[in-house]
Amino acid sequence: MTQVPVHVDSHMKDFEAHLKAVEADFEYYRAKRLEPRVLYYIRRGSVPLYDLLKAVPGAEDGSPVARVENEVEPHDHVHDELEQRIRTLEDRLDEYVRSIAATTADPGTVDVVIDDTRKESGTYDAFFRIAKRTHEGSMEQRINQLNRELDEGMFVIDVLRRALMASGKLTQEQLELRRANGTFAGPWNGGRIVARAWVDPEFKEALLSEGRLALRDLDIPPGRSGSILGVAENTSAVHNIVVCTLCSCYPYDLLGEPPWWYKHEIYRERIVRDPRGTIRDMFDLNVPDDKEVRVYDSTSDVRWMVLPERPDGTEGWTEEQLAQLVTRESVIGAAPALQPGQPVA
Amino acid sequence: MTQDEHRFQNGDQVRVRIACPGGNPRTPDYLRGKSGLITALRGVIDNPRDHRDAYPFMYTVEFGVAELFGGSSTDKVFAEIHEEWLEPFGD
Repeated sequence: MTQVPVHVDSHMKDFEAHLKAVEADFEYYRAKRLEPRVLYYIRRGSVPLYDLLKAVPGAEDGSPVARVENEVEPHDHVHDELEQRIRTLEDRLDEYVRSIAATTADPGTVDVVIDDTRKESGTYDAFFRIAKRTHEGSMEQRINQLNRELDEGMFVIDVLRRALMASGKLTQEQLELRRANGTFAGPWNGGRIVARAWVDPEFKEALLSEGRLALRDLDIPPGRSGSILGVAENTSAVHNIVVCTLCSCYPYDLLGEPPWWYKHEIYRERIVRDPRGTIRDMFDLNVPDDKEVRVYDSTSDVRWMVLPERPDGTEGWTEEQLAQLVTRESVIGAAPALQPGQPVA
Repeated sequence: MTQDEHRFQNGDQVRVRIACPGGNPRTPDYLRGKSGLITALRGVIDNPRDHRDAYPFMYTVEFGVAELFGGSSTDKVFAEIHEEWLEPFGD
């Protein structure tokens, strides 16, 4: 989750870059995801402040509220070697992000639209942004600070979970199901959609011009979302790539979760400024000079996917075979479809 | 305004307003004040899972990376923008 320009190596080469990435990601998920959600629930009365405070372990009987850490796995903050300590931070950050994703009210009990959460997190109005903290001092101090903040963050999630469960807005079964599926579960129709477009020119035309409507041919339901599906076709003259600079709009109901970097601030800021250089640096993909790069900045009303080029050497393949060549990266435009025989990265 | 009424057509040159008092907040900062070309009419989109209120007529607009950020790039950025954020540009 955390290493943006740095690939995961067997040995960490740049401690500073890893630590910085954890700091930036932690603050992003705290200030843009978790805490706005808590505030949203309080403001709408879904989880009143009192209910939240009452859910703090030990608070029911009126005893002084002390931070309880026994729910959180104990971490040895002192004795690990530097590299191991940073890796532990990265693992803990992953757990933090997964826990945030799992700890939401049942959609049937609280009506939240995407626009609301963006207002709450200050996407539209800086006044509402939750202040981000700085991380200064020696590497040792910053690691200690992050460990403390991760303890605190997991505690907030734990209290929110208790409050949601106490009011019946989240059940143990739902929580376990979400955890079992992981945060990356979701529908994946990318292979079927692209493979059909490769073999059926009429379907391809309909897909490019009508988007979602064309998917009825594949028995894919239109979904509850009212958003339009935009499809950008890669050709010998054009390479397309998709981003959402405001947040993370994506056709989730069709393609599941995008790769982790899709939501990352670095990708979202760089891809519109320098499309070609970003594709080269982040995805190791050199777009030839005579090919135009087109960036599609998605919104929640029009969500884009890329139709990659059909690889050579696949003449006569069935749709099922072709669908295996279509990756999540390829429908965003970060990679071509796999070549025949190429292993999945 | 009905769903079909709209001010701009495909191929029109437009400029994104720098500010749009009372307007919806969905236009990214980096596009504000920049000029582009209408390439698709998207209509008024009913999307109740994402927003409760109807937003104005939406267009796809093409921008040059060089127009947005300077430099000599010939690459393009496409974005969806609501009518209240757009004004005519050029002749």
